[in-house]
Amino acid sequence: MTILQHKMIPLAVAFLVAASLLPVQAGVFPQCPTRAPAPEPNPNPIVFSSWFDDVNGDGMLRASDGEIVNPVSANQVCVHLTAGDGFTNMADGREQYIFGFANATGFNAPAMGEPWDAVMMNYMESAHFPAPTLTFREGDEVYLSLTNVGMINRPDLFDPHSVHWHGFPNAAAIFDGVPDASIIINMGSTLTYYYQVVEAGTFMYHCHVEATEHMQMGMLGNLYVTPAQDGTPTGGFSRFAYNDGDGSTGYDVAYPIQIGAFDPVFHEQHIGVQPLPFANMDDKYPMFNGRGYPDTVNTGALDPALHPRPGAAPMPTLIAATPGQRILLRVSSLSTTSFHTLTVLGIPMQVVGKGSRKLGLTNDISQYYTTNAITLGGGQAMDVILDTAGVPAGTYFLYTTNLDHLANEAEDYGGMMTEIRIQP
Amino acid sequence: MNSFISKQTVWCLTLAAVLLWLPAGAARAMHGNASIAGVTGTAFQFTAKADHITTGDGNNVFFWGYANGGGEVQYPGPTLIVNDGDTVTITLVNRLPEATSLVIPGFAVTASGGQPGLLTREAPPDGITTVTYTFEANRPGTFTYYSGTHSDLQVEMGLLGAIIVRPSGYVAADPMSWTAYGDERSAYDQEYLYLLSEMDLTIHKLAEQGLFDQIDTTRFWPVYWFVNGRTAPDTMLDDDVSWLPHQPYSAMTMMNAGERVLMRMIGGGRDSHPFHTHGNNFDQIARDGWLLDEGGGNRAAEVGFIPDKSVSDFTQTVSPGGTYDAIFVWTGKGLGWDIYNGSDAEHMMAVLTDANGDGFDDTTFEYIADHGKPFPVVLPGQQEVTFGAFYSGSPFLGAAGSLPPGEGGNNPNSGFAYMWHSHNEKEMVNNDIFPGGLMTMVIVDAPGGGVMP
Repeated sequence: MTILQHKMIPLAVAFLVAASLLPVQAGVFPQCPTRAPAPEPNPNPIVFSSWFDDVNGDGMLRASDGEIVNPVSANQVCVHLTAGDGFTNMADGREQYIFGFANATGFNAPAMGEPWDAVMMNYMESAHFPAPTLTFREGDEVYLSLTNVGMINRPDLFDPHSVHWHGFPNAAAIFDGVPDASIIINMGSTLTYYYQVVEAGTFMYHCHVEATEHMQMGMLGNLYVTPAQDGTPTGGFSRFAYNDGDGSTGYDVAYPIQIGAFDPVFHEQHIGVQPLPFANMDDKYPMFNGRGYPDTVNTGALDPALHPRPGAAPMPTLIAATPGQRILLRVSSLSTTSFHTLTVLGIPMQVVGKGSRKLGLTNDISQYYTTNAITLGGGQAMDVILDTAGVPAGTYFLYTTNLDHLANEAEDYGGMMTEIRIQP
Repeated sequence: MNSFISKQTVWCLTLAAVLLWLPAGAARAMHGNASIAGVTGTAFQFTAKADHITTGDGNNVFFWGYANGGGEVQYPGPTLIVNDGDTVTITLVNRLPEATSLVIPGFAVTASGGQPGLLTREAPPDGITTVTYTFEANRPGTFTYYSGTHSDLQVEMGLLGAIIVRPSGYVAADPMSWTAYGDERSAYDQEYLYLLSEMDLTIHKLAEQGLFDQIDTTRFWPVYWFVNGRTAPDTMLDDDVSWLPHQPYSAMTMMNAGERVLMRMIGGGRDSHPFHTHGNNFDQIARDGWLLDEGGGNRAAEVGFIPDKSVSDFTQTVSPGGTYDAIFVWTGKGLGWDIYNGSDAEHMMAVLTDANGDGFDDTTFEYIADHGKPFPVVLPGQQEVTFGAFYSGSPFLGAAGSLPPGEGGNNPNSGFAYMWHSHNEKEMVNNDIFPGGLMTMVIVDAPGGGVMP
């Protein structure tokens, strides 16, 4: 025993020395760094412990909106997400246990005189599906803090969580969210990711911890970056999917559409604390943005009899435009099981981008193509333009041609479908 | 007491060093070896026969495969590496319980010997009769071969492989000559194969028991997914490890920042797989051995040039029977912080210079314009995070940090580690065991190697 203890001494000493050299910030600590105002001995040292009110309620703190005092740069953005569990309901009313994210950016604990740990109580069991849509601008400097609020319905689990910005160009391993390659955040603590956003495009994000499980459980969200060309009139448009140089990706209205699907057996085994069916995983609730048809086209409150939790499935996918408008669909898939083909009845689909990049270089439309069907596997994204010029007003359907996925489990005429309403 | 502690310290450090270096030793040995493992020549002698492969969950799975010459039967079959213009012959002998054959899409193949079959001539299951397939490898690229007989069962059982045709001008000993298609648009520094496939365990169990009349391939339900015939984590072991005698091919991928990495992706099974590259987009430059160009056109890529009709993406659909070549580069461009932590000389084993002012090092094409910029956030304390086996203990390239005992260890040079995998995430399991399946790790190493703590 004594000898064993002696053997441990060098290890213990090494550990203590190493630990003392590391910056230690215990507990919940979202970071929105600011520059200390002058005069200071060191001009403008960075202060990491600042946080501010989300004045305009857009879910992010943005220096250009005046929401960050003494920002580190003019394009600074700060976001605070939480990761935990919750419940949502499918279009047929079936309850599903989920893991997911919530947006805590508006929770300014210091201003409320609360310790940051209050985020835990305020955001536990508040996960929703899909995750909050993250919209950034090319040139943004993003500080994204992730607090793990734990899974209160699975007290036997101690899972960490992460944010993987899927498709981030030249990603650094430390901010890539892959548990094998970096660090992931434990319950009750916060990790701040940093992204200098240098490219526009349609991306996506998800938790990468135990990826098959956490993604099937619903830790999936839309993420896209608008280009620097926005606001510069080009080819008759002022908003664009990419820096195209010629306005060829210009649009009037844009909608993110994320493919996702649940296997109800997996979710029910999960809340039942039973072994999880990985080999038998088989999705029965195909969805756009966390809803099956007809919930996809409901822009109001969902039927409380089927959806007792307001906000659990917050995102409709009704696509609305006036005749003649160009519609940009930012389509991404985070299905954990299969490829999906989507079609639009009555309006040709022009594919202008893929994998967060414009097809072809600036001022080159030679690689665009027009089709009636696009196919996406998990982790794929496409930018599709629907030009409604000459298209009569009316309702058009966007749905998967994997026809068994047009169902909310046993309920037919549902699943992965939505409507495009062209109205004057 | 002092001497006791120092002795113990030495012992602990030695043990730690051994533990740290062993797991990734195999992977490290691959680095700098840009050639894909396989067999070269123009005449190959294949024997189709049965054996067992090992999966990451510890299972042994009965399979059918090809052995070349006196070699072991293997999954996938031997990767044939030939030269543009070669006349290639593959002689096949069959020790399986049913007739079999080979088809090689993309080439005009002449078959002789054996017995007639539907798609091509077949080798009867007698273990003696030979059938010979001959073709001229008349263009460079990435190709595949697989069984042309009862292929819904035989490809599932493992009768598939890769063919690489080197362009004229390729000299193995001269890295400056390395291209996939003969010019700078397909030039590369490192080259890796990703042959993707899957298996339905039920079919293999029934085949092992000889219950062929009970096999129904229309009820296909794969539970194993492979890169180069291995499930993760075995994908990250070196080529030819002794304990995987029938699965010789690694998928562990290593590179330096700024290097062009040629990815040769092949759909080997009957399902499509979305293969996702963490770290950066790739540029798909060729499909089924045809460059994506128009009249030899080219355009600038992040590093060097690519064909003008290349397609950038972060997830490649790899469909059955298809091959896809891509150039992947990780430069670190635009991160906004110094991956060398203030260009600490201790972390930088190479001198990087940017005389032409494009932001990239003039020789390696690593992005260096962010040097000197501070790390942007405070990382949580050690008690608040869970560590990955490929985490070096520090966010900086080539710089190991301190880790609690037992953590890290698979990344001794402190590179940046990424995961390349099927993004139909179900395919990242070995039967019911996560993680595994169609996944490998990728390491971007520091220039000149890293430093130990």
